[in-house]
Amino acid sequence: MSRIQEISAKSCVAVLCLLFFLVGCSTDDKEELEEQSENTSESILNQSWEDTLAEAEGSEVHFYMWGGDEGINHYIDDWVAPRLQERYNITLTRHPMDITEILQKLQTEKRAGKEDGSIDVVWINGENFKNAKENDLLWGSFTDYLPNYQQYVNKENSEQQYDFGTTIEGMEAPWGKVQYVFLYDSAKVEEPPASFADLAEWVKKNPGTFTYPEAQDFSGSGFLKHVLYDKIGIEALDGKEYNPSLLQQHSDEIWGYLNELQPHLWREGETYPSTLSDLDHLYSQGEVLFTMGYNEGRAERLIADGTFPETTRSFVMEPGSIGNLHFLSIPFNSTNTAGALVTINELLSPEAQLKKLEPSVWGDNTVLDINKLPDSYQEKLKDIERGESVLSADELQDSFLNEMDPEYTEWIKEYWISEVVQSGNN
Amino acid sequence: MKWFNPETIKPWLLLLPSVIVIGFLVGYGVWEAIAESFREWETGKWTVQYYEELLMKEAFWDSLFLSMYIAISSTLASLLIGLFLTRVLQRYFMNYRWKSLVWLPMLFPHFVAAYLIILFLSESGILSSLFYHFGWVNEIADFPFSIQSQHSAGIIFTYIWKEVPFVILMLLPIYQQFSPEEEATVRTLGGNSWDVFKTTEWPSLFPVLIETGIILFAFTLAAFEVPSVLGITYPKMLPVLSYQWFFENDWSNRPLAMAVMIITTLIILFIAFLSFWVTQRRRMHIARGR
Repeated sequence: MSRIQEISAKSCVAVLCLLFFLVGCSTDDKEELEEQSENTSESILNQSWEDTLAEAEGSEVHFYMWGGDEGINHYIDDWVAPRLQERYNITLTRHPMDITEILQKLQTEKRAGKEDGSIDVVWINGENFKNAKENDLLWGSFTDYLPNYQQYVNKENSEQQYDFGTTIEGMEAPWGKVQYVFLYDSAKVEEPPASFADLAEWVKKNPGTFTYPEAQDFSGSGFLKHVLYDKIGIEALDGKEYNPSLLQQHSDEIWGYLNELQPHLWREGETYPSTLSDLDHLYSQGEVLFTMGYNEGRAERLIADGTFPETTRSFVMEPGSIGNLHFLSIPFNSTNTAGALVTINELLSPEAQLKKLEPSVWGDNTVLDINKLPDSYQEKLKDIERGESVLSADELQDSFLNEMDPEYTEWIKEYWISEVVQSGNN
Repeated sequence: MKWFNPETIKPWLLLLPSVIVIGFLVGYGVWEAIAESFREWETGKWTVQYYEELLMKEAFWDSLFLSMYIAISSTLASLLIGLFLTRVLQRYFMNYRWKSLVWLPMLFPHFVAAYLIILFLSESGILSSLFYHFGWVNEIADFPFSIQSQHSAGIIFTYIWKEVPFVILMLLPIYQQFSPEEEATVRTLGGNSWDVFKTTEWPSLFPVLIETGIILFAFTLAAFEVPSVLGITYPKMLPVLSYQWFFENDWSNRPLAMAVMIITTLIILFIAFLSFWVTQRRRMHIARGR
């Protein structure tokens, strides 16, 4: 435990003791308890998989995850949960909560020394994983213990070792893979821009028809990271450590470009959509002609349910499209680690991964190595039609860019308001 | 001794459960916020660096001015409109149907109200489509009314729509207490309508208006939902700014977020004490007959 946590944990415990003096607990007891529980829960990883299955049988697993997508929720509630019930007699309960709030809850529980948490599985990646790992909010290194991970995941691949530049060390298991694409209405836009220079030309000719979510939004910073790739270059950023001198060198170009766009954006750049759903709303109303976002297949279901026009198509621009993985992990104070392990292993099974890829279900790409799958699954994978709005696998592969070091994202978020929004609007 | 008189202790005992709950929940929360804003994030040492940093930030001052502007203007507008409606329509409000109608906006949560405003008044909203349909604007984007602008018209409009019924709710019982004789007395003595308002209504209205105003001001200054839906990218209202700093991936701004909330609380406390002081002074004047 770091010093600040120790102090706040102790002060927290002290206050709690004052409040509930009848309970009469002391910090020492808490620490002892903590040690004990760590010993018992980690010993699971030494027992056989069959023993873990037996231990998980009849238990309840609480899966905390972002709940803003109906398709994903259906997949968990109506396909995964019944399957776990049937095969392992595990009851899976999904709790919708944003990951930042989940981590906040865990952090509070950590401070208060609460060792029997209510969360067994979380959906996590990127900066949140970094935060959780650095603050000791995760349970341990477990991926090598999962049979499906051992069998189907290509562990040597760099994307399985680093999550936005943070070493994974088995503390989270890959679940899915997405790539950033732009969406446009092909009935209104004949030829979407092919590069960021094209985009600048395009907005000048068609003012008010394009905007991006603000930098604080996940998809908004995603857009800005593409601008960084465009202005700084792929070689300097892809898989490289954070280098502040690059930003100094190129900051004029980066902010210059965004300021060049601003007066021609939606509402003359006076304000930006605060979330991706706000931008999607503008697009669905025809106020703007483009939207964007991680997940190359996201338009399919929005077209199917009538939110987006049927003529919605996707495109990527030079220099490429950033892709990343998202993961599953177990909090430090899960009370059902056996159940959590079985659940995560099941979500990594070829059946579950294929189901997840179907456009009507979720359209989320698989993390399994196709070459390691049995032939029958390889066939099935090829047969899945991802839909007309999704680019071909080759096109996506050719444009694939890795996530850059998270420090760059912090830099963008810190200065975007003052360099772009304020400077352009004053 | 008087202290042991059961009748004296009874109200305290009855209040005890709610005092304990409020004291522990609110008190503990406020204490944690204060502690977090005065502690160095990495080491836990006591420090005022976050307040210094905050007061140096342009983003904070811009947010503060925006929040004060929105809170003051929407509170004043709600009070004036509410007072006007209550005066003019008090007779109709005796009838239950009209009363329910005017209280209808109170049923909606604030964020629903904010979304209703988007639905009706945004550039692609219903009103704009009607304008377009009738040919009053050539393009949807030409719709003149902008809810998300530097003037924060959307936020202020939402608050007025939501709070005017509340003002009426607070004022109506007072108006229903006024007796026609008082008005008659003023008229007999040669007073006009303004004199009637000033001498018979205003003394009873003033403390309630102040009290209602504080409730509205405190709520508007510290509420999150409406500005988070209808606010613009820069500047953001204080609660949105604080939320953003708190839930950022980088947790080192959390003390700053807490400092923003502490300052907001201090502003509300200051204004509340100021207005209690003003009403108290008035009451003393009235009691002394001056």
